[in-house]
Amino acid sequence: MAKKQHGKTGIAMDKRKNMKISENIYLGVASSEDDDDEAPEEVTFEDSKATALRSMKQAIDSVRREKELLKEKRKKRQELFQEQKKRKLLPDNILEEIDSTVPKKPKVSEVEGQGKEKKRRRRYKRRSLKGNCSVMRVQDQSLANKQQQSALKFIQSRLYGKGTKRTTASQLLSLENKRALNKTAAVQFVDKQWGLERKEKAKKFKKKWKTKQGSGRD
Amino acid sequence: MGDFKVHRVRFFDYMPSGIRCMAFNHKTHRLALARLDGSVEIFNFSDNFFQEKIIPGKDSQSIEAICWVGERLFTASLNGGITEHDLVNLRPKYSLDAFGGPIWTLACNAQGTHIAVGCEDGSVKLFEVHPENIQFERNLDRQKGRVMSLSWHTSGAQIAAGMLDMIRVFDVKSVTSSGKSYCAQNAGGSRRRVRRRKCVVWSVVFLSDHTIVSGDSAGKVQVWDGNMGTLIKTHQISKWDVLCLSASQDENSLVAGTSEGTVVQFQFLASTLVEAEKEWVRTRTLKPHTHDVRAVLELEQIIVSGGMDTQLVVRPLMDKVEIKSQDTAPRKIHFPHRRLVSCAEQAGLLLFQFPAHLEVWRLGESDGHGRPGDRLLVRRKPEKLLQLKRKGEEQISCSALSNCGGWVAYSSVSSLRLFRLQCDNNHLSIVKISSLPKFLSSAHQLCFSADSSKLFVASSNSTVHVISLSKSECKLVHSFKSASGCTEPVHLLAPSADGAWLATANGACEIHIYNLHKLKPHCSLPLHRSCPSAMAIHPTTNNLVVVHADQQIFEFSVVEGRYTDWSRKLQRVGLHPLWLQRDTPVTHVTFNLQNPAQFLLHDMYMFCLVDQSLPLPEQRDQFFNQLTLKSLSEDERKSRIHAFKICKRFQPLLSMFMLKDGALVVVERPLLDITTQLPAPIGQKKFAT
Repeated sequence: MAKKQHGKTGIAMDKRKNMKISENIYLGVASSEDDDDEAPEEVTFEDSKATALRSMKQAIDSVRREKELLKEKRKKRQELFQEQKKRKLLPDNILEEIDSTVPKKPKVSEVEGQGKEKKRRRRYKRRSLKGNCSVMRVQDQSLANKQQQSALKFIQSRLYGKGTKRTTASQLLSLENKRALNKTAAVQFVDKQWGLERKEKAKKFKKKWKTKQGSGRD
Repeated sequence: MGDFKVHRVRFFDYMPSGIRCMAFNHKTHRLALARLDGSVEIFNFSDNFFQEKIIPGKDSQSIEAICWVGERLFTASLNGGITEHDLVNLRPKYSLDAFGGPIWTLACNAQGTHIAVGCEDGSVKLFEVHPENIQFERNLDRQKGRVMSLSWHTSGAQIAAGMLDMIRVFDVKSVTSSGKSYCAQNAGGSRRRVRRRKCVVWSVVFLSDHTIVSGDSAGKVQVWDGNMGTLIKTHQISKWDVLCLSASQDENSLVAGTSEGTVVQFQFLASTLVEAEKEWVRTRTLKPHTHDVRAVLELEQIIVSGGMDTQLVVRPLMDKVEIKSQDTAPRKIHFPHRRLVSCAEQAGLLLFQFPAHLEVWRLGESDGHGRPGDRLLVRRKPEKLLQLKRKGEEQISCSALSNCGGWVAYSSVSSLRLFRLQCDNNHLSIVKISSLPKFLSSAHQLCFSADSSKLFVASSNSTVHVISLSKSECKLVHSFKSASGCTEPVHLLAPSADGAWLATANGACEIHIYNLHKLKPHCSLPLHRSCPSAMAIHPTTNNLVVVHADQQIFEFSVVEGRYTDWSRKLQRVGLHPLWLQRDTPVTHVTFNLQNPAQFLLHDMYMFCLVDQSLPLPEQRDQFFNQLTLKSLSEDERKSRIHAFKICKRFQPLLSMFMLKDGALVVVERPLLDITTQLPAPIGQKKFAT
């Protein structure tokens, strides 16, 4: 909990706040001194001051460390995002070809520091180029195949997609069973609240059980 | 009846594929049916709904529409091709790309001169039918959005096309691309349409009086005036989609199939007795299916429907029927009328044929003896020895396992493969035989001889090749050309146990017997009007037992070349009416090795032991008399007993074999197992559940 709070406030934390913390700590120490009257006064003032200072320093250090950790985390994340974006992009040579086909403004000299900015700009430009078209390799998928896939998807979404109110086979069977004259055990007994693993297990068990029943009938 | 040790096999996980579309040829009475896996099946409706032919599919080809043009069969696929099928060689003849993206629908005009296809890109393309092929003629006016359904007017001058939210009528004859086209906007017509997705017109029917009937994804069947483009009547028949429509030939009746599994009939009737004006009235609601009805046909007084629950339902309408009989009973066709399981009777192995692979299992063993009806303990469990995946994307059309369990062969449309299996204790090795003759590229049926030394391959043009098998090489011994010059595919092969004879049956109902020693045709059986569905040659007497799709049984003495006396007697007395009323064909014949006078037959619901030494049942005798016989005394039993002993314990029966040790193997496929694996059905709220 404490860490989280630090994380939230830590960004805007300044020296004044640190002072406050140290004051609190000081007060805390003082109050403790008041509390135990009977205890022998072995701790000198210097010692107590030193411990107080130490604890204060530790507090400040921990705050700073937290800040640094956070910074590092953010940095790592940023890097990860960039890498992912790079992975999503097509290989460089293809991008170059696409770029070369379109008349382009003269290239800005490539400096290491400007690399990021340039990439971003390039990406932006490609997006505007595309319009409704998308770039894909022919060898990945023939046109007919892709069309067939999309047609199948259309049928699937129409017949089994959202809003078609499909149930499962086991529910159909249980409904039949409920309305039958002589009711028997469920063909597939599964509870909605079960996890996936348990459902699978139940299915397997059921299958075994059914074959046993089947062979037992003769 | 005789006692048998029975291996009850329930581990054949055969899963039929859902039915996508159907077409009926009124001239030849053949139903063509396409399944979701791309296979096409032909049923003969004038021969007891027997499944005559199966054209195996390809993985990449999903058929969306099917139609007959004369006696030629065309299908259209989502991969954008139109395919004509060769019904003699059971393979696609040629495929033509329509260049319009995936094809959703295909329709032929009544004259049989043109085919129209509806494509993904919104175009309707016309193809001219030539004797050898089809040729692209022109595009009709291209629309926005896919064309989901098409229907020709009987005159051949107009086509109605169902699209997204729209029905359009094209004028075919005009010189310009489209003369007049009326636009029936908002076919969905629902007020909620704005919020909803677009309404898909799944099916249209163009009647000869220029009425257009449409079925759409809003669950409506709507009747439109085709001349004016106005809506006449709306029938809301479902909360879900209306997927298919079909009108009878006289256009007095119309059926619609819905996602809920219901089939709704409409009739063109005068609403009151006085009025002369007729209108479409909803008359019947049937629920033949549990899942979506993807294809429906209205024939004369019969509704045929099929859908995602993989069964074909043939339901006669009881309009003019007074007496209940075999013809008025609804029937369901679940499984192919074809052998999917082979058995090595010596080795105790089973071969299961799936569209994409083969499985070899070793049967379990049990010890001890029990009283009849007891369940024996299994000492060794059945064991899957091998799973053989096919090469390429063509489905397996037939397969065979030799008697000794040492050879496995399978064939697809373009390749025939032979494997040598070696099984020592726990070690199994499989070697592909590559030295097969080159011309053996496909087979309609495969069979090994009883001593596993020869392979019989039924190939194109009714030719049967005999191949001798040995460890070193496989070579062709002889090719038997069809004795009558018939080119129909051979669908049954029956070799004799002594290796002297081979009987073949083809799609034209012919049965030929060949002499394997002299390598010459021996004789042909008299032609029966119905297709043979199973046959086998008796191991000791060499009598050929043939069972036809109309349930007739014949016994033919191969050596003497004539029907046996028992067969003549059976024809004279006639089969029992209850036997003739069964609605599934006999798919296998085996012989009882312990008693040469007995043979066994089975269909989907029963198996029957026929004892030729016993008297035949008279027409009025009790046919299913097992239980009554049990309760009678010895003397009475003798007077009541007859030749047909029927056992219905094992259902639904896919195959039955008799092993060398006299044990029976029954292969069952419980329908419940299939139901649990079907795609999701529509969920409906039922009161009090």
